[in-house]
Amino acid sequence: MSSPDSAVPPPAEVMTIASPINLILLSLFVILVYLQLRPKAPVSLPKGPAPVVFRTFTPTTLLPYNGEGNQPVYLAVRGRVFDVTPGKNFYGPGGPYENFAGRDASRGLACQSFDEEMLTKDLKAPLDDLKDLDADQLENLQSWEERFSEKYLVVGKLVAEGDPEAASA
Amino acid sequence: MDSNTSIVAKLDALVAELLADWNIYTTLIAGGIVAFLVFSFVTSKDTDIHPFLLARQSTAFPVRQPGETAQYRSLETPHGFPLRSGLNVKDPGAPRWTSGRKGDLRDIWKAAVRGTVEEDGRVTGKQGKIYTVLGRKAIEHSLEQVTQEMNVIGSRLQSSKVNTVAICLTDSVELLAAIFAGAFYGLKTIIIPHNLDAESLSTLLKESQAEALIAEAGALDLSLVAKGNDQLSQVIWVAKLGSRHMDWNDVPEDVKGTLEVGVWHELVEAKKDLAGLEVPTWDPSSPTPSVTTVWPSKSSAGEFVEYQPENLVSGIAGLMYSIPRPQRISPSDLVLSIDSLSRSYPLCQIMTALYSNASVALNSVAGESVDFALATVGVSPTVIVASSRTMSDYHSKFMKPHSGFISRFSRWIQVRSLDSGYMPSHGVLNQVANVGPTAELSLDKLRLLCVSHRVDADPEVQLDYEQLADLRILTGARVVYALSGPGVAGAVFQTNVFDYRRFKGASHFGAPLSSVEVVLTEVPKDATIEEGQITVSGPSVISGKTALAGRARIRDDNTFQLL
Repeated sequence: MSSPDSAVPPPAEVMTIASPINLILLSLFVILVYLQLRPKAPVSLPKGPAPVVFRTFTPTTLLPYNGEGNQPVYLAVRGRVFDVTPGKNFYGPGGPYENFAGRDASRGLACQSFDEEMLTKDLKAPLDDLKDLDADQLENLQSWEERFSEKYLVVGKLVAEGDPEAASA
Repeated sequence: MDSNTSIVAKLDALVAELLADWNIYTTLIAGGIVAFLVFSFVTSKDTDIHPFLLARQSTAFPVRQPGETAQYRSLETPHGFPLRSGLNVKDPGAPRWTSGRKGDLRDIWKAAVRGTVEEDGRVTGKQGKIYTVLGRKAIEHSLEQVTQEMNVIGSRLQSSKVNTVAICLTDSVELLAAIFAGAFYGLKTIIIPHNLDAESLSTLLKESQAEALIAEAGALDLSLVAKGNDQLSQVIWVAKLGSRHMDWNDVPEDVKGTLEVGVWHELVEAKKDLAGLEVPTWDPSSPTPSVTTVWPSKSSAGEFVEYQPENLVSGIAGLMYSIPRPQRISPSDLVLSIDSLSRSYPLCQIMTALYSNASVALNSVAGESVDFALATVGVSPTVIVASSRTMSDYHSKFMKPHSGFISRFSRWIQVRSLDSGYMPSHGVLNQVANVGPTAELSLDKLRLLCVSHRVDADPEVQLDYEQLADLRILTGARVVYALSGPGVAGAVFQTNVFDYRRFKGASHFGAPLSSVEVVLTEVPKDATIEEGQITVSGPSVISGKTALAGRARIRDDNTFQLL
């Protein structure tokens, strides 16, 4: 059944490495090797928020920090200024303690009263020395202060208007 | 619908056409791809530590003082919690829930003598050993023997009413015994580097008002040292093995009568039955006296740094816990210090080793600048404590010039595994890389290299990232790199043991230890990067707070780099 034609082997198809499929696979190989070997930059995390600078406040400079707008909420207890922004619901605008925001809250906390008259009206006056408080009230204040120190950050101190420290700050 | 089928049909035709060209090369290439994928999957390893833990290595307090950076702390002791102040020693019989004592040097020796303790509190009593390395040979000492020497020397000094003892010895078991004798017998200890000339030693003795001196026999001219040191009443000579046959009890004429001279090994021989092998008992509430070391300074022989016992234990604990548990010094380790024990970092590391029941090897040539290859021949350590100067000298002399093409290639491969976050394995490749540079070393078992840099040392000897990578590859050991400063027991910063990342320039020093809190002060007003003078506070700092003579910069990963 063999024809004379078939005796002559067909011309062998030249095997080429440069066929499209080979090129595709080769480039895939190269890409894989590159991906595996390329130098990887070490992982980096985004930088945290910049720390707040400790400041010396006077009653006037403390006033703007009452939580209005996007301001943080600060309040002062016996000369220490606490950042109570995490408790904005209580100390910020509309909260039950909103009168204390941006003010010296020492007397109010000691007397457990959130009224206006607990605050020192005259911002230029010397700081409230709390001399007239009784032992119970002082103890009350002490426990508030401890609570604040546990929960909130001290971001500054409060001095009276005209204090030399205030001028240098 | 029609167009859809036509697209599918076209695609089909295209694929068919592509595949029609499939031949033996295609099979080879496809096989290569599969093999490569399998290979990289099989050889891929987990990183030794989560990359995020290296991306932020210390925490900053959210409030800072003007002109300073925020306070930075180790991740182990977050803000608002006390810094690590002691070893948390739990006495047997104490209720389980109570927190332990801070402890002191006596607890460290007690723990070393007691031997290992299992997780469940059972004492198995396997003690470490102490070796003194002299050239090629290492002499083994049992801890009982050291306790005995400590008891003899301590009780002798105590009975002659000495309060302050100066020790001027090479690193040796006698030095260690003398330090612990000071702790157990209430003697203020002053460790003076051994290579000082008689004059500076005399000055230091006068300054410290030391009443007793323990020094190497024959190394000092006694009449010169005693001149102007009227308070000096006791001298104990430590004779080397080779010179014990000589009579060292001779006292020069001019100091006869005021000085009582004894020889260490003779005293121990004479009194050993009286003194006993037991560790003396003590009242845990009684304090131990301070340990003073000499910090080298450029102008004079050096200045004294007096560490209170609580500074020391805090520094020791800080160093101990700075290394995560699987890498921490354990009872199976042999710790060799080739840096002098008169410096606080090696001293604290050796104390850490003793407290962890590891074996300890002390080398008589130990110092800030020694030949790394020579100093490590006598023993086969698993942990080495060395100075940055020693390592940088060794690197520039031996590691760099010795790298040929093959070792460069295998270095490239191993650096890749370091960069992907894990240690290269000890394999054939490692052997190839080590042919040449470390051939003469006996470091087969080495797993950890603790390198310390003095804050006021020559900036030339600071190690850079490439040197640290070379050290890791060529010794096969992980490396921690610490910054030490005068007045801070242990170290201020130390790199994470798993931090193999490489950047440009000199290496950072990692995060603060858990025993300190660091602030950079005198920060320039308009600085965009946080840089300033290193100010350290915490229980391991003498008098609580000190400013170091060096400026540092805080990198984005919250590690510190010297400027």
